[in-house]
Amino acid sequence: MVNLMKIMNYMLVAVFILLLGSGSALAHKVNLFAYADGGKIYTESYFPDGKPVTGGKVLVYDSRETLLLEGTTDKEGLFSFDIPKVDDLNIVIDASMGHRNSFKLEKAEVEAGK
Amino acid sequence: MRTKISVMFVLVLAVMVIVVHPVPAHFGAVIPSDDIVTMEDSKTINLQVKFIHPLEMHYMQMVKPKQFGVVHGSKKIDLLDNLQEARGKGPGQNQEFTFWAIDYKIRRPGDYTFYTEPTPYWEPAEDVFIVHYTKVCVNALGLEKGWDEPIGLETEIIPMTRPYGLWTGNLFTGQVLLKGKPIPFAEVEVEYLNESPGNKKVVVPPADPYVTQVVKADVNGVFSYAMPKAGWWGFSALSEAEWTLKHAGQEKGVEIGAVFWVLTRDINPK
Repeated sequence: MVNLMKIMNYMLVAVFILLLGSGSALAHKVNLFAYADGGKIYTESYFPDGKPVTGGKVLVYDSRETLLLEGTTDKEGLFSFDIPKVDDLNIVIDASMGHRNSFKLEKAEVEAGK
Repeated sequence: MRTKISVMFVLVLAVMVIVVHPVPAHFGAVIPSDDIVTMEDSKTINLQVKFIHPLEMHYMQMVKPKQFGVVHGSKKIDLLDNLQEARGKGPGQNQEFTFWAIDYKIRRPGDYTFYTEPTPYWEPAEDVFIVHYTKVCVNALGLEKGWDEPIGLETEIIPMTRPYGLWTGNLFTGQVLLKGKPIPFAEVEVEYLNESPGNKKVVVPPADPYVTQVVKADVNGVFSYAMPKAGWWGFSALSEAEWTLKHAGQEKGVEIGAVFWVLTRDINPK
């Protein structure tokens, strides 16, 4: 009887962990938005409900997929840097637990923000 | 005697037919080219602002609205001067009607609620003016914020179902407000836009009640409707304004509508 209770407890914990895991994977899709202004590129990383992605890794690639620079988002999910190159840029947000997304900042927009 | 009775009978029948035959439901419409703008999409969307019978594909003449704009991040942006005059007609119509169109560039993530307050439309068949305050919500770049906020129109529907990313068969739930307060037992008319992009099969109503679906709200002004087909669905809650307008020197009532449009996509595409 005691054994059965123990097993059931373990099962409950297992189910709980499973629920937690799947819940965050589904609801916590990350996003990154970027724009160029006054010689800099500003990025904002957020979850769908507006919560910032803190401590997320930002990777900036050019049109040939060469890594130009990388950085980390702050408490507000922000990371900015000087325009590294006038080109089509692919800016990737890599948050914990393998949540990744990317944003294409077109050459024309980078040019306009020089 | 016999002929008199039959003449009377025919007259009574004629009156009944006239009275019973429903006046097609008018709908203010603001229809965007897309309801979700993703990172890969073009950031410029086109919106069409019309006054129509959505299922029957009839256009009505629409003069320039009083208000047209968008709310994003709790901020209202006036876009009235950017509206372009356009003309169009339904398949069964032999005359073109004025409607309005606009290209709008999305610049930031978040929900964009477009709204219009049309110029009062005189409807002689109903002896009233009609003003449909119409809204539609476009989501941009993964930030799902703002769709559930009132924007402060005289009457409006507040979505209680997130109004984008909807499947066919989903329930759309909304709350009807008049001057910011719920309307208990509000009557809501629901219609399918037969002109929806991608609609392969025009809906032909088997009888008049199929044209406009009618649902009533509960005591808190909350209504629901399950949408059976892919495309745009219009929800219109009608009330009578406390104010009147003059037509040919006479004070006339004003029907004010709170209209909201949502798009569904087929969960089982063929």
